[in-house]
Amino acid sequence: MLKYILKRILYLIPILIGVSAIIFALKTVTPGDPARQILGNDATEEQVQEKRDELGLNDPVLVQYVNYVGGIVTRGDFGDSYRTGEPILTEILPRLLTSAKITLGAVMIGAIIGVLLGIISALKKYTWIDSVVLVISMFFQSVPEFVVALVLIMILAVKLHLLPATGITTWQGYIMPMLCIGLSAVAGYTRITRSSMLEVLGEDYIRTARAKGQSEKNITYHHALRNAMIPVAQSLGSNIGNAIGGGMVLETVFGVPGVGKYIVDAITQRNYPGVLGGALIIAIILTLINMIVDISFVLIDPRLKTTIISGGAKKMPKKMKAA
Amino acid sequence: MSENILSVKNLVIHYETDEEVVEAVNNISFDLKKGEILGLVGETGAGKTTTALGIMGLLPTRVGHVIQGSIELDGENLLEKSPREMRKVRGKKISMIFQDPMTALNPVKTVGDQIAEVVLLHERCSRAEAMIRAQKMLAMVGIVPERYKDYPHQFSGGMKQRIVIAIALACEPELLIADEPTTALDVTIQAQILDMMRKLQKEHNTSMILITHDLGVVAEMCDHCAVMYAGELVEYGTVEDIFDNPQHPYTVALYKSIPSLDKDVDRLHVVPGMVTDPSNLPSGCSFSDRCDKKGDMCNKHEAPGIVDLGNGHLVKCLKYKPEVEEK
Repeated sequence: MLKYILKRILYLIPILIGVSAIIFALKTVTPGDPARQILGNDATEEQVQEKRDELGLNDPVLVQYVNYVGGIVTRGDFGDSYRTGEPILTEILPRLLTSAKITLGAVMIGAIIGVLLGIISALKKYTWIDSVVLVISMFFQSVPEFVVALVLIMILAVKLHLLPATGITTWQGYIMPMLCIGLSAVAGYTRITRSSMLEVLGEDYIRTARAKGQSEKNITYHHALRNAMIPVAQSLGSNIGNAIGGGMVLETVFGVPGVGKYIVDAITQRNYPGVLGGALIIAIILTLINMIVDISFVLIDPRLKTTIISGGAKKMPKKMKAA
Repeated sequence: MSENILSVKNLVIHYETDEEVVEAVNNISFDLKKGEILGLVGETGAGKTTTALGIMGLLPTRVGHVIQGSIELDGENLLEKSPREMRKVRGKKISMIFQDPMTALNPVKTVGDQIAEVVLLHERCSRAEAMIRAQKMLAMVGIVPERYKDYPHQFSGGMKQRIVIAIALACEPELLIADEPTTALDVTIQAQILDMMRKLQKEHNTSMILITHDLGVVAEMCDHCAVMYAGELVEYGTVEDIFDNPQHPYTVALYKSIPSLDKDVDRLHVVPGMVTDPSNLPSGCSFSDRCDKKGDMCNKHEAPGIVDLGNGHLVKCLKYKPEVEEK
């Protein structure tokens, strides 16, 4: 198990090198001068040059890159913000917490509603209920998140005054961003749950359970559901990624001070350390989340335990014969 | 040994879809005496499994329908029971062993829990008692009880089938339906499993319906044998009747297709043609298209009735109805 976790953490290295290299490369081709941006139009050419030297912008790109990576590896230093001069990490961490709350809430809303709807439509397949569920979930998938966001603001904040339109000064402020991101994910979960539930309900072991005299309710919840949840859990990891992506736009719409908004602001301000740091931290978190999700499969599917503990997925045939 | 535990009368089962109606089981009747083993033989698609699922009340919902007939277990017609009453019968009075042990067990539950589940459903006992009972069942089918907490993927195919058998026998059912219990297993394991099943069947005096297409298994295990073709029971009798004195052309053809050790043949005999399509049965005798003894009357006359050749040896063929031939 430990070996497996270590291996997964080692996978982080090439991923992070890739992400940082791409963003660093972008920095060299984007027009505009960060030094000029910081100092403003009134600064003299000498001042700008001095600033460029200070920021290391006159060094060859490769040297800049090595210095940057070296800073992270040796000191955990993601550089300082061009805008405020504060270390990126101190700026991002509190925002990260805000974003994490929203993302987690959104994924939970999406997964719970989606799985429930999926179960309902699988049990009522080919009836009008099934069709209604399909249409509703398709609707939320097709409409862009920010449109849903604007409609929600219109209704809940402007007309009904139930929730604040923007900001997260109170806990109510979290509700709408969570709902928007969550609802857009419902369709995916519904469809995965429905199809895997239908597949599982046709399996031989369900017939075995019926032959035991087990009731349909217990068959659905004790025998089928856990098996049907395996593909749903697998989609959870990538869904968190989508939720973070969706968060970037929605944090701007709702004026939430999260990582998404921070990165969007950093891009418009040519605050490269901010962009780089934000992207890298999100990449690290996503990789870790996917690892945790993969490990948690063991709890659902005992067949994977042998795979993960022995540490060699390739050695393990699908149907392992122990006896 | 004379009392009938199961009595199937004029059973007709159809599979109905929007496109077609498949006549899977056509008017079959048979009895099973207490403690006996009935072999149900026939090609794939002959309706053997459908008959078994019909008895279990597990026909696919919406598609499978019992059109007529009765299935009496201990004198009670199972077809008149409500779903709730049938759940009390399944697993307790009738159990079924399915063909493929690889997929018959739930992969995310321990094998012990899967055995204990059926005990908890039908016996008044605590979880702990059910666990002990499940461990006893494991021991009974030759698996060390310590493996209670193992998952199905940790067992081989033969051992999985043992577990399936343990589940089926956990509540000491009166009737056990085994649907090709050894088809998916290695030949060496087949013999082991069959030996064990026969031993347990004798110990508990369980009645059994053994579905198979292996006539060797029937000869070894069964008391009576029923040969099915295209949803009909074409011949029924004791194993001695069927083996020493097969009467229906289909049964005869089946025997010819068994490889023999003492005869030197280049090719095995094959029953010509394909299994008759049950959604499009020929008029008259359904085997007539493939029959080498087919007469003029076989397609003209309505389906042949059952003729008793004496001692309960039943056959469904016009050959044995001379009065029809004369007409």
